[in-house]
Amino acid sequence: MTLGGSDLPSPADRPDEPRVGVDDWVASHESREERKRGLVGVAARMWALLPPVGRLGVFVIPAGFLPLVMSQSNLARYAIYTLVFALMGLGLNVVVGYAGLLDLGYIAFVGFGAYGYGILASSQFGRHWQAELAIPVVALFTAFIGLLVGLPSRRLVGDYLAIVTLFFGQAFVLFVNNANRISFPHFGHVDLTGGSNGLANIDPLNFFGYKVHTTTQYFYVLLAAFALVAAALYFANESRTGRAWRALREDPLAAEVMTVPVNRLKLLAFAFGAGIAGFTGAIYGSVQTGAFPGDYDIGLLITIYAVVILGGTGSIAGVALGAIVINCVPELLRSQQNASWLFYGLILIVILMRVRPWHRCLAFLAGLLAFGFAVHALAAASWPRLTAAHPRGGGSLKGPLEHWVLLPSHPVKIADFAYVVLIAAILLVTRLDGWRRLLALVPTLYLAAMVWENLLIQQTAGATRLILLGALLVGLMNARPQGLLGTPRVEIV
Amino acid sequence: MNWSLFFDLTVSGLTLGSVYALIALGYSMVYGILKLLNFAHGDVYMIGAFIGWYALHALGGPVSPSVSAWIAVAAMFVAALIGCGLLGVVIERFAYRPLRNAPRIAPLISALGVSFFLQNSALLLFGAAFRNYQSYDLIGSRTFSFGNLYFGTPQILTVSGALVLMVVLTVIVARTTVGKAMRATSYDREAAAMMGIDVDRVISVTFFLGSALAGAAGVMFGLVFGQVYHYMGFIAGLKGFTAAVIGGIGSIPGAMLGGLIVGLGESYSTGYLPQGSTFQNLYVFALLIAVILVRPSGLLGKAAIKKV
Amino acid sequence: MSERPRLLELTNVSKAFGGLQVIVNLDLHVGEGEIVSVIGPNGAGKTTLFNLITGIFEPDEGDILLGGTSIVGLEPHQITNRGVARTFQTLRLFLNMTVKENVMAAQYGRTKATVFESMLRLPRARREEREINRLAEEKLGFFGQRLMGYRWEQPAYSLSYANRRRLEIARAMATEPRILLLDEPAAGMNPAETHEITELIGKLREEGGYTILVIEHDMHVVEGISDRVIALDHGVKIAEGTFEECATDERVIEAYLGLRSADTK
Repeated sequence: MTLGGSDLPSPADRPDEPRVGVDDWVASHESREERKRGLVGVAARMWALLPPVGRLGVFVIPAGFLPLVMSQSNLARYAIYTLVFALMGLGLNVVVGYAGLLDLGYIAFVGFGAYGYGILASSQFGRHWQAELAIPVVALFTAFIGLLVGLPSRRLVGDYLAIVTLFFGQAFVLFVNNANRISFPHFGHVDLTGGSNGLANIDPLNFFGYKVHTTTQYFYVLLAAFALVAAALYFANESRTGRAWRALREDPLAAEVMTVPVNRLKLLAFAFGAGIAGFTGAIYGSVQTGAFPGDYDIGLLITIYAVVILGGTGSIAGVALGAIVINCVPELLRSQQNASWLFYGLILIVILMRVRPWHRCLAFLAGLLAFGFAVHALAAASWPRLTAAHPRGGGSLKGPLEHWVLLPSHPVKIADFAYVVLIAAILLVTRLDGWRRLLALVPTLYLAAMVWENLLIQQTAGATRLILLGALLVGLMNARPQGLLGTPRVEIV
Repeated sequence: MNWSLFFDLTVSGLTLGSVYALIALGYSMVYGILKLLNFAHGDVYMIGAFIGWYALHALGGPVSPSVSAWIAVAAMFVAALIGCGLLGVVIERFAYRPLRNAPRIAPLISALGVSFFLQNSALLLFGAAFRNYQSYDLIGSRTFSFGNLYFGTPQILTVSGALVLMVVLTVIVARTTVGKAMRATSYDREAAAMMGIDVDRVISVTFFLGSALAGAAGVMFGLVFGQVYHYMGFIAGLKGFTAAVIGGIGSIPGAMLGGLIVGLGESYSTGYLPQGSTFQNLYVFALLIAVILVRPSGLLGKAAIKKV
Repeated sequence: MSERPRLLELTNVSKAFGGLQVIVNLDLHVGEGEIVSVIGPNGAGKTTLFNLITGIFEPDEGDILLGGTSIVGLEPHQITNRGVARTFQTLRLFLNMTVKENVMAAQYGRTKATVFESMLRLPRARREEREINRLAEEKLGFFGQRLMGYRWEQPAYSLSYANRRRLEIARAMATEPRILLLDEPAAGMNPAETHEITELIGKLREEGGYTILVIEHDMHVVEGISDRVIALDHGVKIAEGTFEECATDERVIEAYLGLRSADTK
């Protein structure tokens, strides 16, 4: 029996060198790395060279200049809420990203923080604690609640955990909606949470006597909070606890056998995530000067999940990016004009990027325009009511749109029907390839424009946003489950 | 002891329980075969309720339908059964099948996305206003009595309809080739594929059946309780899932039993427990936690022994 | 052979799953510094034996002693902390973590820094982190150049099969155990790699000082490493002794090859 390597014939002229393909040669050769090409690759390499402090700085320092360039109301809508979402996402990231536990009641912990802070610092009970005391107390209390919720969950495998936590979240909303009518045996009637009207008049943050009341000040408080939490989580992830969490996520059984006390770490993850949620909730309650039951329901939960998943579970930078996208895009969509530009612009960009080479792309665009004009002309000639109305948003696009898109005078029924047909068409397009796909895409895009102009654009603040969010989640899982900045995971099923 | 209240609550509980049992069956079957929690299931139920409403109005509406009332009801059911069945198949095909080999969290998130998408599409298309089945106008309400239990027409329709559907499902699963294939796939998907079973088709059939049942449940709910709205699938879905877990997820008789337990539990808690009507969902939740802690695999479920 | 102190001892251990009796009244011991092999046809209960020792299952009857103290009823991570480490028949690495992180993760039980100390970068946390790094590199160095250098930062799923097996052993070693349980370490390896594993196991005892309990099918490996061999069939010990004694034992031959019957002639 001979040792590996000496079975292979050695090249006649180089008997002493290790052989290609033999493990030692591979090991001693230059390092082998995955390098992404092009601009993305350069950015990735530069990013990897930055020390952690630098990476945080890349986000925080430019952000610090925002109040100088944005109006107060824009600052509130875009920047402050982005930071709030990012903070919530960081906490969720600990539970879902690091430890791999699907917690669908997470948003209740944020609610605990908000209501808790409200109980300690509002006119509800007449207590006005200062922030440096109230916030840690609330955060710790919420962490404790997270621990309690985690206790029955120790025995539960992923799916069951999801359901139990979902129920807990619903229980919380139910509770705060009705907690203004509880009678305690000794204290009599107590209004804990203001019921469905919520807890109003929460104090502004009060740090050591210094009151935070302008938007800019709140922005800086949130920015500092984000930087602090992000840094803390980064170090936590690199520590033995972070490795233990990741091991637990990978393979709980193997982790347990490799000295990781799995149950204890699950509880720790829950408590940690809940603590961060409570902390964020307290600040959030103060920003909104109130805590309202509807805020802590499934809508916000899905939003924060989208933030974490879009950015890439387990990645702190991903959470920041996800928060920026998930908050700012719908805000942009609120104005119908912006929304239209965004809609058509996005479609155009995707076409330009995905349809190659350039002559094919041009042919496609030309075909799309021609198709539209043709259909429009045909419709105008035969059923004038189909083209009678005017496009809503669009601004300078209004003119050409009027002649391209079908705009019936009574859009409701047709648009509803078109919506369903559109969904079917989109699903069909995903099943086709090559030129067939391009061909099918023409009427599909035209239909999409029609549905947009007649139906979706009216609800950009409400249903449309949420529809897109749901579709985003489904599409993301199909196309890029690791999110924008996550690393593709290998899993043994 | 107010017996008439008790019997009223029992009737109500049985009716609700039948609805929940039908929803739970869909959850249980899908989980048994794919180990997937189909969060979108509750919204399929909601779509079923709306399909029923639209079918009714296509036939002239509850007050003066163009066909006899019972044919209208049958048409509503058929439309919901087929429509939701197809919807379930489409959802599986596009949101779950591509993720069959992805990490477990991916189809769950996808399911959440589908749920959200359906809910808000319904909001977009149907508006936020509640639709009313006006079943009193449609089928009236005679009282049927079994001993001390008094059922109104929609309620007896629900309970008996659910029973019929459950019997049909049990027969399909236990006696037909497709049913056998479904059971085989739920035990070991790979082995089933290697034995010549078209796993994709079997899974599609499972989704069709489960979703069809949910659709029927939606119509039943509409007939009994009157109001349908875009958000109704969420809580009903949760309770249906609770029922599936309590009964033992993956077990068909378990889903039926669980449905009854949840329905009766909810009903009795509104009557007997403090502030029951507001907090009924909380009590159901507590029931779920209790069952999971005491018997994690549910009442009729089998604890799976994994080979390490 | 002189009687070494018994590091691991199983007395009258039985385990059943449902109605299936997997291990029946098993007595087994491993002396300190010994290399003992467990052989037997598939389904004989060998991996269940490992699962019982490491605390994944609890025996229905009988006792398991480590260094004289009973470890029955302890949680797996507690048992590992007491000095029992194992590898898995089907590899169970932390695939999405880097090679080095796999080995570092296994040192959780040996270290004490809390997450808060790590977040604040307190001295104890930093000190322990350096130590964890050093030990990981040391254990990985056991395998030559294969798992060294740039390989440290590679995700574990990028490793070849043989390297994954080595990584699993390195990870087990990082828990600083007294006894190593290796479950089919040579499974799926070609003759050259098998020979390397044989040498490696010997090296583990010589240089690492580990006591080793091995489950193996490849008789070349068993022959090359074992001080003692134990044969199991249907959960029952059917032979024990040196390799020669077991290999020629009638019951062992029957378990592997079946009874000689007139019809097969």
